[in-house]
Amino acid sequence: MLGSEKNPVVDSRPMNPSEREVSYSSQTRSNADDVALIRRMCDADETALGALYDRWVRSLYSLVFHLLQDADEAEDVVEETFWQAWKKSSTYEPSKGAVSTWLLTIGRRKALDRIRARRRYREDPVGGDRTFADMAAPGLDPSEETEGSELRTHVMAAMKELPAEQREVLELGYFGGLSQTEIADRTGQPLGTVKTRMRLAMQKLREPLSMHRRVTE
Amino acid sequence: MSHEEASSELAAVALDSASAEVAESVRAHASVCPECGPELAAMEATVAALGELVPTTKMNLGRGAGIRSRLIMRARNERESHAAPTPGPPDLARGVASLTGLGHKATPGAQRPVSLEQKRVVTPPAPTRRHVAFEPVPRRLNWYAIAATVAFVITGVQLFRVTRENSAMRSELASGDTGQPKSDSMASLLTEKDAMITAMAGSDVKVVALADKSAPQPLGRMFWNRVTNDWMMVTYGLPAPKPGKTYQVWLVTDKAKISAGTFRPDSQGRTVMHANYALARDALKAVAITEEPEGGMPSPTGPMVVVGSA
Repeated sequence: MLGSEKNPVVDSRPMNPSEREVSYSSQTRSNADDVALIRRMCDADETALGALYDRWVRSLYSLVFHLLQDADEAEDVVEETFWQAWKKSSTYEPSKGAVSTWLLTIGRRKALDRIRARRRYREDPVGGDRTFADMAAPGLDPSEETEGSELRTHVMAAMKELPAEQREVLELGYFGGLSQTEIADRTGQPLGTVKTRMRLAMQKLREPLSMHRRVTE
Repeated sequence: MSHEEASSELAAVALDSASAEVAESVRAHASVCPECGPELAAMEATVAALGELVPTTKMNLGRGAGIRSRLIMRARNERESHAAPTPGPPDLARGVASLTGLGHKATPGAQRPVSLEQKRVVTPPAPTRRHVAFEPVPRRLNWYAIAATVAFVITGVQLFRVTRENSAMRSELASGDTGQPKSDSMASLLTEKDAMITAMAGSDVKVVALADKSAPQPLGRMFWNRVTNDWMMVTYGLPAPKPGKTYQVWLVTDKAKISAGTFRPDSQGRTVMHANYALARDALKAVAITEEPEGGMPSPTGPMVVVGSA
């Protein structure tokens, strides 16, 4: 925990729009910098929230849009996520993972809540039929692509090596937020089998992803 | 929950596809299990990293800026609601109106009676870009119709008034017949006034007169010291905003309309707002005041009350 309560502070940091534009494009996004921002948020420094937003909004929006396939809902989730990060900044524990992990986890969880609600009330398809293969598509921003293309290649290679049934349970859980019981019902597989497949899939993907995180952190 | 049970649920918890009860039990176990704890953290990192692989999708720039601005505004309001005591009465005698709403720096630990020491400085929040034009201006204000020469003359008068007030206050302080609290308050006021003089009298001060077309003379001025980045806005004779509304100040650049905070003038239409905000020397195109819902808006939505070209 980084703090127990928000204390008012006097902040004299100017917020120059031109500076912020620079930060969008030249961000290095080290976790140490993110942690420093969270500490400032614990001290009720709202400019740190703005800086964290600048650093991660693109990744977060991309993720929740990919999950929800709806720009309005994705924007809502982005706002809810950063607001929760502000409110709960003192509960962030660096030992449990990077700030980006924390943020993306919050965002994905909120997006999944909406997907589940759709499923309950509108019987929409699971997670909008998203698959990991969709991730192989290039993004809209060439500079971001340069940063992530190598990793994407590695992970997609690892993903392709996953047996189809392991990839399927992972996709149903990742994109649809289905419980293991729901996945078992949907795929007609025993619950124990679903659990095993999900765990194995996660373990196989861990290596290329953790290598990436070591590099970026 | 046994170790085996918890272990079999780790992936589901990491994917957020376990029930709340199961997730809670697994996390409780993982928090004390040297094997499951790191395993769960690694799986959660894997899930988060998968999220970073998603192809980039750009958010609408204007809406993204709006979300950012709203977040900062909410955070600031929350901080101030925790930090700031009930606003004190406006210092009408000295022409300093109450400052409300956005962009004010709170003085830490302020639960004492309000004094001018606690008057807050306005820092403009995030720039907001908007893709819709300003609301139609009732009186069709011309943003580039303000004569700079008039502004400089009036500036001199304003500066003279403030300087004269400061001299009187210094005399009173020097005479020693003030109580300590009053003395502290007055010293703070002097400091504030000094800052005001500096902001208005610097060698590189830009003055923007704020007017509406129907008024024979400006209803306010914005002084921008481009060396120190001090901003001082003064209004006089500004009518009260409608019930439930507030005035909001905007610094208009080619790329953004930057909220500089909300305010309500005093009963005589007077306001003094101070800010420190860095802006490129030639970036300012205009200063505008709009009428917005209480609390302010991330971008202008209401009618423009006064405006001045830079």
